[in-house]
Order: sequence, then C-alpha cells, then structure tokens
Amino acid sequence: MRTDATRRSGPGAPLGLYIHIPFCRRKCAYCDFYSLERADDAALMDRYLAALLRQMEETSVTIADPVDSVYIGGGTPTVFGADRLAALLELISRRFELTKRAEITCEANPESSDKKLLKRLRKAGVNRVSFGVQSACDAELKALGRLHDFEGAKAAVEAARSAGIENISIDLMYGIEGQTQESWARTLGAAAALEPRHISAYGLKVEPGTPLARRAGVGEVFLPSDDAQADMYETACRVLALAGYRHYEISNWAKPGYESRHNLRYWRLEPYCGFGAAAHSDCFGVRSAAPRDIMRYIEAVESGGEVFEDYDRIPDSERAFEYVMLGLRTSDGISKRRLTNVYRLDPDSAKDELEALAQAGLVEDLPDSVRLTEKGFLLSNTLILRIFDSLKPIRSPFAKEQR
Amino acid sequence: MQDISKIRNFSIVAHIDHGKSTLADRLLEMCGAVAERDMEDQLLDNMELERERGITIKARAVRLSYTASDGETYALNLIDTPGHVDFNYEVSRSLVACEGALLVVDASQGIEAQTLANTYLAIDAGLEVLPVINKIDLPAADPDRVAHEIEDVIGIPALDAPRVSAKTGLGMEAVPEYIVNNIPAPTGDPSAPLRCLIFDSQYDPYKGVIVYLRVTDGTLRTGDRVLMMQSGAEYDVVECGVLGARNLVPTGELGPGEVGYLTASIKNVRDCEVGDTVTHADMPAPEALPGYRKVQSMVFSGVYPADGAKYPDLRDALEKLRLNDASLTFEPESSAALGFGFRCGFLGLLHMEVIQERLEREFSLDLITTAPSVSYNIHLTDGTEKMIQNPLDFPDGTTLDYAEEPFVKASIISPPEYTGAIMELCQERRGVYRDMTYLDATRVELHYDLPLGEIIYDFFDALKSRTRGYASLDYEISDFRKSDLVKLDILLNGDIIDALSFIVHKDKAYPRARKICEKLKDNIPRQLFEIPVQAAIGGKIIARETVKALRKDVLAKCYGGDITRKKKLLEKQKEGKKRMRTFGTVEVPQEAFMAVLKLDED
Repeated sequence: MRTDATRRSGPGAPLGLYIHIPFCRRKCAYCDFYSLERADDAALMDRYLAALLRQMEETSVTIADPVDSVYIGGGTPTVFGADRLAALLELISRRFELTKRAEITCEANPESSDKKLLKRLRKAGVNRVSFGVQSACDAELKALGRLHDFEGAKAAVEAARSAGIENISIDLMYGIEGQTQESWARTLGAAAALEPRHISAYGLKVEPGTPLARRAGVGEVFLPSDDAQADMYETACRVLALAGYRHYEISNWAKPGYESRHNLRYWRLEPYCGFGAAAHSDCFGVRSAAPRDIMRYIEAVESGGEVFEDYDRIPDSERAFEYVMLGLRTSDGISKRRLTNVYRLDPDSAKDELEALAQAGLVEDLPDSVRLTEKGFLLSNTLILRIFDSLKPIRSPFAKEQR
Repeated sequence: MQDISKIRNFSIVAHIDHGKSTLADRLLEMCGAVAERDMEDQLLDNMELERERGITIKARAVRLSYTASDGETYALNLIDTPGHVDFNYEVSRSLVACEGALLVVDASQGIEAQTLANTYLAIDAGLEVLPVINKIDLPAADPDRVAHEIEDVIGIPALDAPRVSAKTGLGMEAVPEYIVNNIPAPTGDPSAPLRCLIFDSQYDPYKGVIVYLRVTDGTLRTGDRVLMMQSGAEYDVVECGVLGARNLVPTGELGPGEVGYLTASIKNVRDCEVGDTVTHADMPAPEALPGYRKVQSMVFSGVYPADGAKYPDLRDALEKLRLNDASLTFEPESSAALGFGFRCGFLGLLHMEVIQERLEREFSLDLITTAPSVSYNIHLTDGTEKMIQNPLDFPDGTTLDYAEEPFVKASIISPPEYTGAIMELCQERRGVYRDMTYLDATRVELHYDLPLGEIIYDFFDALKSRTRGYASLDYEISDFRKSDLVKLDILLNGDIIDALSFIVHKDKAYPRARKICEKLKDNIPRQLFEIPVQAAIGGKIIARETVKALRKDVLAKCYGGDITRKKKLLEKQKEGKKRMRTFGTVEVPQEAFMAVLKLDED
C-alpha cells in the first residue's frame, strides 16, 4: 500500500524527537513561541522536568522506531540548566533506540552558554548547538531586546568549539528596526567569519500578540520595507554562497553535509514526536499539539491523562498540499515520482504553468523534480499556491476504458 | 364605503433633510396609526438602506384616521415621497394620486433647490400646495423670513402656514386640521366604470404582486375580475383594502378617491406596471387614465456578478427590484473582461448606488460595476446616427463624424459668499453660465448648463465641500449638444480591459487618464510579474504607471509547530485570490474597479 512517510511505523523508518523548554530569562519583543520569563523558578523547572521525563518514558513504550534526530528547542534550553538537560538526554539514550550518527541539537543563547555548561551537554550526547546570534550590530541586538552583544556571541561559539562541539549553527535576522543594507552585510560577513557549519537567516515577521506587534500597531516601530528586506535576502544569498554555504531551504544555509537532519524532517513530511508544553507531533498520520500552557501540560501528565489537545488526522489530499508547501521550501523541491505515486497528482498537468514560471526565473522544472530558484524562494507563498492549483489528479486508467 | 367628502389625499414634498419623514412620523402618531410603543423614527422608510442613509428612496402610502374639530372623522391618505433629485420620478408619480401637498420648509435653511423643483412638480400636477414651516425649535430658526421667502419666491400664501417642530411636536396639532380645511376632497362617481391608477407595486412572496392604486371612478371589490388596460392582463381580485402604517388592512372594497391596494396572485410584475389603469373586465372604462411619462434613464453602468455563475441570480434580482422600481432598466451585455452581466440604466448616481447596495444586501450578490456613463448621440460619417450607452460602442475615428452629449439645466442655491467657488467648479466641469438671481440678501440662485457626464461622478460632493454644505442642487435634462469626445481605453499588461473604458471630453482626457492609472496602480496588488498600467486614446498611449513585480511573499519560518498555521495562512491567501478577477495574467481585485469609480477631486 502506498502511504505517507508520516504513516510509516515499525523499525526501519527513523523518527525525530523534539523537546520544548518554555523558559527564558527575558522574552524578545518579536517572539511568539511559547515561553515564560521564569528562569529563576527552580521548583517549576523541576516539576516540568519530571513531567517531561514521564511523558517520554510513557511514549517510548509505544515506539519501536530508531531515532536519528533529537532537537531541544525553546524558549532558551540553556536556562534550564545542564543537569536537567542531561537528565532528558540520559532518558532518551536509555529508552529510545538512538542511531549511531543521530543528530542531537540543543538551542542556546550566548549569554547562558559558558564552556562548563557546553561541556556537560557534549558529555550528555549533544553534538550540535544552535546559537541565537541574530546580528553583529549591538544596537540592533538591543532593539530586538536581546541580552547579549556580538562579542558574547563570538565567545559562546568559541566555548562550544573548545567544549568539543564542532557542528555549530547560528541564527541571524534581517528586517530589524534600524537595520540597513550595510549593517546586514556586516552581520553576514561577521557570521561567516565565525565559520559555523550552518546558518539560518530569518526575515523578521511581526507576529500578532507580540510586544513588537503592539508597538508597530501604534507606529512606534519602523521596520525596513518588504523591498528592503528582499534586497537583504539577496545579499544573504550572495554572501553566504561565496563563503561556501549551500542554500538548502528558504531560510537555511549549510556547509555540504551539515544540513539540519531534524529540520529537514519537517519539510520532508517525515515523522517526529514532540514532548513538553506547546510541542507538536506528527506521527502515524496524526498531527497533534500539547497545551500551550505549562500548568495544563504538567497536570495532564501528572494525572496520567491525555496530553495532546489538538488531534488532526490529515487526509491524503491535504498531505499532498503539505508536501508541495513544504517540499518547495527546500532546494530539493518536490519529486515528480512522489507526486505521481503517493499523491496521485500528474506533474505534466502543471507543465504550462511551470514553463511560464521558469521563464520568469522563479522555478526550475527538472526531469525528476520541481524546485524554486532563490528568487522563487522569496515568492514561495504565491508560487506554492499556483503550482499546487495547476496540478491535476491522475486520471484513473479504468475511467478511460469506461469511455 | 368611505364617504368621498371625508377623504384627503396628500403628499409631503421637501428638500432633503428638511424633516419630511419626521413630520410624517408625527402625523402617524397623532392619528393613532401606530401605538406609541411601536413608534420608531422614519417609520415609513422601512428599507434598511433608507434608515441608514436617512433618506427616502421609495414612495410609500399610509391611511390615517383623523377626527377634526367639526366632529367628523376623515381618512387622510399620506403618500411619502423621496426628496433627492434622482427620485423626482417617484415624486411626480405619487403626486398624481393626490389633491394636495404639504411643502415642508426648514425654518433656518429656507428654500433650497429641491424645494423649488418639487414644488413645481406639485403645482404642475394641479395640486393645492400648503407650506409648513418646520424646525422652529432650532436657535437659528427665522420663520417670518422663511414665510416671506416662500411668498416671494414661489408665490403661494405662507404667512398663515403652520409653524411647527415635528421633532418636539410643537404646533403639530394644527397640521391635520390645516389639511382637512385646505386640501380639496377628491371627486368621482362610485357607479361609473372603474378606473384606478397604479402608482406603485411591490412583490410579496406570499401574495404575489401588491398593486398600490388610487381609485378615480367606480368601485373596486374583492372578487372582481379586473383588466389592466395597458398590458391587457386580467386577474380576479383576491384582496383589496387600505394601507395601515405597518400592514395592509383589507376592506373588501375601495370607492372613488380612495387610496389602497389590491392583490390577485399576480406573478408577473410586467402585467401591472406603474402608470397602468385598472378597470373591470366585464365593463371596461372607455378610456384609460393618463399614465406617466416613461422615465428616462440618465446614468448607465455595466453590472456583473463577481462570480460568473451567479448571472441568473443577478437577473432574477434585477427583475424583482424592477417590480417596485420602474425607473430601473437593464439589458444583457457581455464583456471580455467581466463575462456576462447587464447594462443598467439609472436615474442618477445616488439611484445607482442604491440599486447596487440593494442587490448586494437583499440578494447577497457580489458585484463588479463598470464606470458610470451617460447616453451619447453618435453621428457617423455615413450620415446615420445612434444612441449609445456603452463606451465600447463608441466608434473609432474613421467612422465617427461627431458626437453629442446630454446637457442639464442646473440650478444651484447658495449663500452669496460661495458664488466664486461655485462658478469655479462649474467652469471646471465645462459649465455654461446662464444667469444669477438673488432670492434675498442671504441666498443666490445660479443657473448653469452642464454636461450630464460631468456631474454624475462627484459633482454634488464637490459642490458640498466647496460651500461647506450650504449649496443645494437641482437639475433637469435639457438637450444634446455637440462635444469633442474621445474614448479612453485602459490597458493592463498591454491588454485593453473593456470594462474600464469610458468616454470623456478631449480636454479632460489627460488628467483623467493619469489619475486612473495612479488609482489602479495603488489598488492592484503587486504580482509575480511587473504590470504596465496604461491609458490610451485610439491606440495612442497617453499615460502610464507600473505595478512593480512582487519581490517578497514568503513565510520565513516553518517548522513542526508552524505547519498547520502556515497552511491556514496560505488557504486564506488563496481565498483572497478568489475574489479577484483575472485578466490574462493580471489579477485585479474588486476594489480596483470601485476605486476607478471614485475619482475624487483631490
């Protein structure tokens, strides 16, 4: 039977684990992830840790698949403390079947990552660290409400290296208040000079409900225009390519072989299991989400009840849209074979549309796949809709005979 | 049967905002037509749109019962009428069913352009015109001055006119008595062959068409077989009666002079058009009553469903609206850009807006309308001539000899300090100055001949804004005059969008073209490709703007927790696209069409 990768179970189809740590010393003005400014609340952290361990333990019983990626995200996982993080990783290695080359990432902020902590993480199994660096300009870091300066970020990267973690990723941000084309180019250069294996560059988006959205709503913030952001994006493409990074997803660049295995899962519709408040899962064909409230999450686990609140069994037709939406985010694009065999969509039906888009330099229509160019990445919303709309279902061979 | 000598049929005419509907409300209340607890403002204006805009669109009739000081009870049939110039036709129609009219004049504003226009309509219809001076409670009220003004300008006695505040009820008790004593009772022979004038009709889903009529001769009874003299249709009367404030009151019969209604399970509104005469099928009157002059549509616009599949719904909706709005005309047309729709004729721009809003609200239709146009008289080089309402029918330079456009005689009344501003405005709109007279020291009346095409867009708004709302306007169509007209085409991405073409005076073509291109540029969202927006006359480009290509439309982050949300965002974006029209490769939102219609002065 043809099925979705997310539906596959049983040994042979590796799984990813995501653990959400919803604590920060201070929330950044733009951030809409679920996190609490309770970095000093050891009692709450202990209770949360216990709930996480219990949820993972209980889940592990139902999972036979090997795990080849673990991602500890937040929030700021590093404020959770090395001991608690180590406890999580210890349980994972004991209760799940980690593959030999599993990618184990921990997100970190420069100000809460000293060498001692990083060493502990390395020892506990972390082999990849993702630092929120955002900018090389201290004024921009301040505008974002970050607690570190660029010197601190440099020191954190050095500390990780000397702790034995070579696979370092850094996050950058463009579209910050006060940012200019020049300052962005400086940030890119300074980031590349740190020689991380992986760089993510995100356009700042004003998310509803954030302090930034409130300030922007009353005209207190003036962000670079869409056109200025497009220029910044193009600069990133140019600078990072020259520095030897491969642009493998809309906002992600990596030295060859260092693409984030865990994040690729999301874009390839591969299964993952989430733990903690506000964590999402997508396995066995069901997408689910835990409560976006730490106490509701803890109480659900402690009472032995159901942790996930939103269950969403995704029908195949919607999976097809998700496949196009997510696949076109990557430089691999979407596979014509998978469109045909899994989603019963006829790549030939989109031929005219693809040709027009290719002529405009937005799309590459290859023999086996369809993918967006870098220019196309920047317009991916429109392109995803247009390409998906032009894909027609394959006509059943039986329908032909009946006629 | 109602004693004919105890009937008074009257209507109320006024300039907009002079308090006509409030006065009607008060009369209804005084005559106990509605219980106090049921009283609400603008009671006769039961259309949602009328209440919202505070205007009367449809004429409406109601029967009041009033016991006068002579001890007798009178039936007062009040026919409420619209005040706006667009709806003069409704006014003149209603007036034929009356013997008198109350002329309501605001005690602080005095006579205004529509006061005069509507008064002359009433006088022309042979009605007794009785002035009532309203709003005497306002601090600026000067009833003496206004009474003299009415005598001087209109030439009817006004010094004894009731002075009232319809809002507070002050002085209102004099009004019904004034009606009874001054408006003549109708005349008519109850045993003569039946003749009733249809002055309105309305479609009711249960009763079929409800015919509003005024009996002139004879007696109409339930069960009678009636003949519509014009259409030739015959029906059996199911119900007849008089008009309550909120409902129909069956009486079984209507005698001469009475105003009432009949129903006869009439499905087809065209069988009983306004202006037709109802008579008995077995004893028809030898001659029909004089009907109404066929109303002239003055403003035309293409009306298209946003969703092409709704074309039949739009046709049904237009037919239903025409049931109680005889002035609406429409015929099918098609556009390369918009598909199938109708070219609709309206009395004016307000009428057009009202019809569009009613179509959208009462029939839940999403519409795209083309720029309003007037009728042009086209003379071809081969000596023939034709009237066109659609800019697409405008001939090209080789076959066009010359074109004529309709002109109106406009009357503008305003305080003298705005004379300069008004003259400037009329000049800009290619107006031809006629004359100017002082009505009194504080008001001056200007006469201009203006091209109708220049005033259908935003003339009234511009006039109001340049005179701080003091000026009033009235106009009537006068004649067609030779003009230097051209057809302006709009091109998107090199293709002519026929729905955006319009006819314009040559001197106005350049500024208009520039403005339209700018508006379109601002209202067409950026798309994958650059879109040139051009305006052209006969293939020659005279203005150009560019909608730059979209550069950034991306969700930067999309990880596990984001997928469902991002999927919804994209679905929403897709819904938004559905509301756009696609021309070639260009997607144009409905707002862009609307924006072109609303070319303001600024």
